[in-house]
Amino acid sequence: MIKIKDLEKYYRTEEVQTVALNKLSFEVKEGEFVAVMGPSGCGKSTLLNIIGLLDDPDGGSFEFNGIEVSGYKERQRANLRKHNIGFVFQSFNLIDELTVFENVELPLIYTGVKPAERKRRVEEVLEKMQIMHRRNHFPQQLSGGQQQRVAVARAVVNDPKLILADEPTGNLDSSNGNEVMQLLTELNEQGTTIVMVTHSEHDAKYSHRVIRMLDGHKVTESLLV
Amino acid sequence: MIKNYIITALRNLYRNKIYSSINILGLSIGLACSMLIILYVKDELSFDRFHENVDRVYRIVSDEVDVEGNVTNKNSHTGALQGPLFAEHVPEIQTYVRIQSQHMDIRIDNEIKSEELFKVDKDFFKIFSFPMISGNPETCLTQPFSIVLSQDMAIKIFGTTDVLGRSVMLKDGQDFQPYQVTGVAKNTPINSTVRFNILIPQQLDESELSNRMNWFNFFQNTFVLLAKNADLTKVEEKMDAFYKSDSKEARDRMAKEYGMTEAMENYKLQQLTDIHLNTELPAQNGLTSASNPMYSYLLSGIALFILLIACINFINLTVARSVKRSREIGIRKVIGGERRQLIIQFLSESFVLCGFAFLLAILLLKLSLPVFNNLGNKALSFSYLLDLKLILGYLLLFVITGFLAGFYPAIVLSGYNPVETLYSRFNIGGKNYLQKSLVVFQFILASFMIMATLVIYSQFNLLTEMELGYNDQNLVEVSKYPFERSELETFTEQLKKDQSIIDISGKNGGSWFTAAKVNGETILQFSIETVDENFIPMMEIPVIQGRNFSRDFPSDSSNSVLVNETFAKEAGWKDPIGETVNFWYNDNEKYQVIGVVKDYHFQSLTNKIRPQLFTMNMRNEMGKVFIKINPEKTTNALEHIESTFKTLYPNDPYNYVFTEEQNLRSYEQESKWKQIMLFGALLTIFVSCIGLFGLTVLAAEKRTKEIGIRKVLGASVNTVVATLTKDFLKLVILALIVAIPITWLTAGKWLDNYPYRIEINWQLFVIAGILILLIAVTTISFQAVKAAVSNPVKSLRTE
Ligand SMILES: Nc1ncnc2c1ncn2[C@@H]1O[C@H](COP(=O)(O)OP(=O)(O)OP(=O)(O)O)[C@@H](O)[C@H]1O
Ligand SMILES: [Mg+2]
Repeated sequence: MIKIKDLEKYYRTEEVQTVALNKLSFEVKEGEFVAVMGPSGCGKSTLLNIIGLLDDPDGGSFEFNGIEVSGYKERQRANLRKHNIGFVFQSFNLIDELTVFENVELPLIYTGVKPAERKRRVEEVLEKMQIMHRRNHFPQQLSGGQQQRVAVARAVVNDPKLILADEPTGNLDSSNGNEVMQLLTELNEQGTTIVMVTHSEHDAKYSHRVIRMLDGHKVTESLLV
Repeated sequence: MIKNYIITALRNLYRNKIYSSINILGLSIGLACSMLIILYVKDELSFDRFHENVDRVYRIVSDEVDVEGNVTNKNSHTGALQGPLFAEHVPEIQTYVRIQSQHMDIRIDNEIKSEELFKVDKDFFKIFSFPMISGNPETCLTQPFSIVLSQDMAIKIFGTTDVLGRSVMLKDGQDFQPYQVTGVAKNTPINSTVRFNILIPQQLDESELSNRMNWFNFFQNTFVLLAKNADLTKVEEKMDAFYKSDSKEARDRMAKEYGMTEAMENYKLQQLTDIHLNTELPAQNGLTSASNPMYSYLLSGIALFILLIACINFINLTVARSVKRSREIGIRKVIGGERRQLIIQFLSESFVLCGFAFLLAILLLKLSLPVFNNLGNKALSFSYLLDLKLILGYLLLFVITGFLAGFYPAIVLSGYNPVETLYSRFNIGGKNYLQKSLVVFQFILASFMIMATLVIYSQFNLLTEMELGYNDQNLVEVSKYPFERSELETFTEQLKKDQSIIDISGKNGGSWFTAAKVNGETILQFSIETVDENFIPMMEIPVIQGRNFSRDFPSDSSNSVLVNETFAKEAGWKDPIGETVNFWYNDNEKYQVIGVVKDYHFQSLTNKIRPQLFTMNMRNEMGKVFIKINPEKTTNALEHIESTFKTLYPNDPYNYVFTEEQNLRSYEQESKWKQIMLFGALLTIFVSCIGLFGLTVLAAEKRTKEIGIRKVLGASVNTVVATLTKDFLKLVILALIVAIPITWLTAGKWLDNYPYRIEINWQLFVIAGILILLIAVTTISFQAVKAAVSNPVKSLRTE
């Protein structure tokens, strides 16, 4: 599903050039659950953003579902993204002005789903995430674990083929964290491909494969299953 | 989709109350001002348009040209001949109406009132479309001693409008005569140049018509109705040609008898609708020009300023707040929002906000209409709003404002890179030049308004407080025309019986300007004052050479005159006493100068002191008395004057004015400017300041963490306030520096209209500067202090 080769990304800030990704190559097959680990600043988030089509690479190739997408325009990327990829962040990133229901509904609005269908799908996914009773609450009124479940609900409501999670448990205590990991595992079992960045060896155990990075390139790759 | 946008917009507004109220309040003030202006413009443009034949109604006007063909004067009025003769000899002129405005005494229930009326020709209602309640518009003005009343006047006289056939007592000459009511017209609309309360027929006097010297006597307005499709230039040519041949003889006689150099009038036609805003050929001689176009420009300018400032607030606050919103934008993009969709979102937010502002603006409009009417000399009403074009205009204003305020922020905000916003690496436009320049621009406008207001205030003070050169205090003027000398004597005698009256002096009514020869040939234009020997001493006008009039010299009441310094100077006299003034066209009357008075401001200070000549000539008529009263017994004095007048002259209307008040009244225009500018300045500075306030709130919020750290590191409240205040204050000072030369130039130009004007000095700018800085500092530090005294631990935790 994802095939990257010699991926490069630089950041230039006032004469200092940082190499965030340095000739990075790997593949992720459909249905896989991959964890990416590495010390802070090694380029994990950068990688995830490129895979998530939020950012473009400065070199190398990136194939998504067999199509080369590294040269895509903003419009094309947005289109591909909204139909295929769901995001989960460490800091939840819910919109404060919208209720739980509306937050989850938003991706469906952007993909042009009809209202009745939207309602059905949002309710279904809220049910699944066991957050239905909070549907009319605002994010600030929820605990961190609840917020992250809403964020997961929002990520999957469009039935994406791929979920990208950047330290999804980073802001949660262990029991809430386990719950979220449980959710991701279930989703993966139902066929969703997952790429997750994490600092936690514990969380990484939920995945099939761990990619370890250092200074922008892959150092090891270990199969867990 | 739209629903989602609107929900977010509403919640956003609700959550950010300061931001929303600043924007809504500011925009609504701006919108309300602009709505007023649209109303105003509509009213201006609708002026006189209600006449059915408006395209064919013209006023006869003329250019006076000298021998070389240069236009030396423009005449908006005409005499007795132009109407009837042009109508007779120019085929395209279908008919004419002369309108002579005059005050006449009218008896209502034994009270005598002086009322303004129009003497008009019979086709008045054929040319103008004024609907009548009763009477026949075609015949109501054909018979002598007919009278047409307005609704209001009928009610004032009879208490009802059902008055056809009843009679009104009007004083024509010495006696009251009955005039029969032949029609009652609806009150003339406010947006009409011709506004009347009473009409009586003007007669065609054969002897007047046949005397061609009357070509040179201008005293009334003449309107004509042209045939359909008449060619204006052809009509004007025909009028001119006719005039030149018809007046030839009279012009030759003028040249011979009065030494007038060969000058000519070129007759022209002025469209009725052109009169209202024309300053060269204005509505005068009884016609009303309900507004001065200058006010329109001024008001429109201020309204635009305010709307612009409000839009700038919106842009600045939205962009400044976008730091807080950047995360939301990032999220929306990550989950599939396209740029286009985000632009629509921000625009709809701007429109929702504008919508609220719009509603509030309508409310404000309703509340402010009376004040505006007063300032703009208008009678606009809220019901004017119910007009399709106007409503469309307002909707357009709404859409334009929505776009103006929302578009730039929408473009900027929707362009954020989601990766940067989501990882808090985002730092919007570090230097923020746009925000800064917009703030500077706002404060340039506000400072300009404040400085200009100060200038106008100082000039107004100068005009109202300058020494006039005579004592206008405790002076009451009572008019009666004519005031015979014998009557004057009795009146004086009777008045003096009361202790409250100090002194009395008679004078001619109105002001008269004339010309005479001095030194044998020089022609001098001057004001001629017919007075008695009391006038100069009572007014406390110093006689600096020679002597005042005196009863001891019999010739004083015929051939002696006093002149003012300017007269003597313009005549070029070293020693004026004994010089002669020759009223050559008045039977070659010669006058001897017996004294010179110090110049005083006999006209308002908007005029330069002109030459002035005093005479006691018994042949000139008196028209009013000046009465010096004891200020401690004012009520007593006024009662005494009134009862004496009414007993002595039961057939004359009684009116009095205090000279001092009368003098102040000549500065009504300045007073209006003053009020308008004050309002404008208050509103501009207010709207600018709420914007500034909003920016400080946001800046303080953005820097809560910094402030928290600084305080933890030991900074005092003062230093924290200072850092926050400094940034914005720099902008205000820059604005001040730019505004000073702008004010200097424009205010200087305005002051050039006045012969007696203040000099704009640096103190004025210092005062204005201090005022503006004070307002700005208060606005800024209000929020800064709040941020500074807040608990540092709390502010650190919020991050
Ligand atoms: N917008 C940017 N501008 C400049 N440098 C950047 C930018 N984004 C990332 N970097 C740099 O690129 C490198 C990789 O950053 P990245 O965020 O991918 O690290 P990470 O592995 O996710 O770290 P962490 O585990 O702390 O989240 C870092 O050195 C970072 O400083
Ligand atoms: Mg990271």
